[in-house]
Formats: sequence, structure tokens, C-alpha cells
Amino acid sequence: MHRETSSNAAQPGPIVVVESLVKRFGAFTALNDVNLRVGIGEKIVLCGPSGSGKSTLIRCINHIEKHDGGRIIVDGVELSNRLADINSVRSETGMVFQSFNLFPHLTVAENCMLAPMKVRGISQAEARDRALGLLRKVRIQDQADKYPAQLSGGQQQRVAIARALCMQPKIMLFDEPTSALDPEMVKEVLDTMVELARDGMTMVCVTHEMGFAREVADRVVFMDRGSIVEEADPETFFRAPRTERAKGFLNQIIH
Amino acid sequence: MNTLDFSIVTQSWPYLWSGLLFSLALTAAAFVIGMVLGTCLALVQHFEIPVFAQIIRGYVAVIRSIPLILVLFWFFFLVPIVLGHLSGNGRPIPIGATYTAFITFGLFEAAYYSEIIRVGLRAVNKGQFEACQALALSTYDTYRHIVLPQVLRVASPIILSQTIILFQDTSLVYVLSLTDLLGAASKLAQLNGRLVEMYLVVAVAYLAISSAASQCVAVLRKRYALATSR
Ligand SMILES: Nc1ncnc2c1ncn2[C@@H]1O[C@H](COP(=O)(O)OP(=O)(O)OP(=O)(O)O)[C@@H](O)[C@H]1O
Ligand SMILES: [Mg+2]
Repeated sequence: MHRETSSNAAQPGPIVVVESLVKRFGAFTALNDVNLRVGIGEKIVLCGPSGSGKSTLIRCINHIEKHDGGRIIVDGVELSNRLADINSVRSETGMVFQSFNLFPHLTVAENCMLAPMKVRGISQAEARDRALGLLRKVRIQDQADKYPAQLSGGQQQRVAIARALCMQPKIMLFDEPTSALDPEMVKEVLDTMVELARDGMTMVCVTHEMGFAREVADRVVFMDRGSIVEEADPETFFRAPRTERAKGFLNQIIH
Repeated sequence: MNTLDFSIVTQSWPYLWSGLLFSLALTAAAFVIGMVLGTCLALVQHFEIPVFAQIIRGYVAVIRSIPLILVLFWFFFLVPIVLGHLSGNGRPIPIGATYTAFITFGLFEAAYYSEIIRVGLRAVNKGQFEACQALALSTYDTYRHIVLPQVLRVASPIILSQTIILFQDTSLVYVLSLTDLLGAASKLAQLNGRLVEMYLVVAVAYLAISSAASQCVAVLRKRYALATSR
């Protein structure tokens, strides 16, 4: 593994470093020279208009999308084409999707147990203990032996969060975790995320929930057309955005 | 022969029973060989493994366009010749009618099952693969624990329907002079002249087994309708 000397445990540097990142889909450039540093324990909210590259950026961080240029270093490991590096980064990075992506043929507990057993190599008993503990944390321990389809959307998304946490990741990535939910279920998922933030988790969240951003974000990063256009603390960003594009975007999501 | 006399059936029951057992054993063996091999063939095509994928595509296309009875003939006559050439002395090595039936049915069914599974593999939601990647699961674990179980569940009604057809097709083994349920009945019918009774009983047996299996198809459809909704 390519350990970076600048980010070893002795001197806590950024846990995620994105440098001059370029991502293309055919002739279309989805990310153009993106630079981002995420400190340990930092909470970042990514926002921007549809198609601006938010999902692509966080999907590059755990190599679900392969980047075409620049560097991505996660917890000291630079993402290359080497499987060992990719797996090392992925096992330290949890991801929560807009569409949950739970495994429909496995129970809630089994959803949470599979990766820790297969990737971390822990025993079934330990995996189940860990799963039940985290399901309790997201307040659905009593649904552990049900199948995902028997749960509401909000409950499913909380299972997805617990499943990611069972890998004991150092960073959590969220891609619009509440956009597929009925309005009355948004809060239960946001509450779970707020709690996670209070526990000190490093988080990168794509979301347009401004209340959440105000409450937990250390920084709001605004993207447009494949670039980061503006970065600020949430208070400043929402009250006094500097760029016209951010102003236009904020006007749109308020109305 | 104007009244039905089923006593003849009870008398010849052991022979019919052994025919039925052969049909069931052949179905079971062809199912197992066909599913294991069919899954492998589907995966090779799914992963586009060079050369092998093309060969398998050709194999599946050929098998699916030829009647089973012809394949049975081929295997019965050709495989011993091929084996003879491979062994070096050039003389055909007979493999026997029973082995021919088991191998041929297995290889034949593999082509059909592989198509069902190949289509099923393409139908798995992209999000399932992404969730596996995000959890750092290996390709092996992804297919072994997430993708294939979902494909088999979703495809199980079609797989079972195909297996019912397979069960009915086992009657074709008469061309190899093997005796399945239908073969046993027609031999007896010719001996004792009780054609109507014999064929009635056999029809009822096929009907009972096939419709029981169809019931299972319906149950599976319902059971996995939930799981596929997401
Ligand atoms: N697999 C792909 N193939 C081709 N183009 C893609 C692909 N994925 C994304 N894109 C394009 O890249 C651009 C950025 O997409 P991305 O999904 O990152 O946007 P986003 O900011 O997450 O938008 P949204 O708010 O709609 O989710 C879009 O123009 C999109 O059409
Ligand atoms: Mg998106």
C-alpha cells in the first residue's frame, strides 16, 4: 500500500484528500479539477444543482467510479488500480445510497452481518452482536429478523446506515439519503445522521436538507458543472453566498 | 374390451413403479447437472470471458435449435467414437444407454438453464452491485451471496417450469431402449392389450406430478414477488 508520510497517525492530517480530480464519461467531463480535503471528524455537506457532479465526486472517493485524472488519498492510501488499495479504501468507507440498496433476500440482521464476516473475517456470533448493537443505535433492533421489503422507507434507510456502520468505517458517505423518502420519514433518518455526527464520525453528505446542514456541517461545499464553486461554513453560505450561481441555486431550493 | 379393468394395473404395479423411479431419477440428475453447469455457462457469458464465452454462446444456440431426441441419438453413437479416438486405439468405447441418457439430458438442460440464468443476471439491479462494492465485498462473495441467490429466486418459477418440461421429456429415452414410466406402460399395454387403462393411469401420474410442481411454481411466484419489488 502507498502510505502517505504526511498523514500517519501521529499527526492527524486530512483523512480524505482529493487533488485535481478529473472524471469523464466518454467525451463529457463530469468532474473538472476538483480539490477537497476532509479532516478527521469533519462533516461536509455537498450541494449543487442536478448534474453538477456531487454523486460522481463521492462515488470516486470509494472507487465506485474510477477517476481519470488527479489523486484521491483516503486514510493514507492512494486509490490506484490495485485491488488491495481499492478494497482497503472501501472497507474504511461506508456509503449510504438514495435508493437504500439493501439485499432483498437477506434479513435486516443478515444484511448487516455479511460484509463484516466476509471482509473483516469476524465470527457469525460477533457479527450478529455487532449488527444488533448498531440496529439498536438506529432504533430498529426489533426488526432484525424481518426482510427489507417488510419495512418502511425510513426504516430501510436506517438499516442501510447500520449496515455501513457494521464495517466500522472511518468515513461515511451519504448520497441524498432522504430524497427517496416520504416527507414524514425524512426526520427519522436525519436524526440518525445527526446522532452519528455527534459521535464524531467523519461525514461527507450530498443533501439539500438545509436544516441538517446548519445543524451539523462544518463546511458546505457548493458544486456546479463539475467544479467546486464555493466553500463556506453553513451560516455564511446560506446567509451570504458569494457567487451568483450559489445565490441562484439557494433561491431555487427555498422555493 | 368394453369395460375398464384396472386390476391389470395393480398387478403390473412394480414394473410401472420402476419406470416412474427412472423418470424421476433422470429428471433429478439432469436438473442437478443442468443447474450446476448452466450456472457456470451463464457466468462465463456474463463475464464475457474471451473465447469461452463465444464457444458457449454457439453451444447454447445449437442445442436449443435441435430436438432433444436428435441429441440423444448423437450422443449415443458419437460419444463412443470420440472416446475411442481419444483413447488412441480408434475402436468405439460404448458408454451405455443409461449414462448416455443422464449425460445428454444434463448437457441439454444446461443450455436451457444457462439462458434463464444469463437473463436473470442482467436483471439484477445495479444498486446491488454498488452496495457490494461499497462494502468491499469480493467479486466471489458478491456473486455467491448476493447476485446468484437473487437470480435463482427470481428465476425459480421459470426454472421449475423448464423442469416440468424436462420430466415429460424423459419419455424420449425409449429411443435408447430404456424404460421410463411411459415406456413401461406401453410395453405392458402391448403385452396385455389393456391400452386404455395403462395410458389412463400414466396420464394421471404425469398430471399429478406436473400439477403439483405447477402449484410450487405459483407459490414461488407469490413468495418472491415481494423480494423482487425492490
Ligand atoms: N454512468 C454515467 N454515464 C454517463 N454520464 C454520467 C454517468 N453518471 C453521471 N453522468 C453525468 O455526469 C454528470 C454528473 O452526474 P452526477 O450524478 O454526479 O450529478 P449530481 O450532482 O449527483 O446530480 P443529482 O442532483 O441529479 O443527483 C451528469 O451530467 C450526468 O449525466
Ligand atoms: Mg446525485
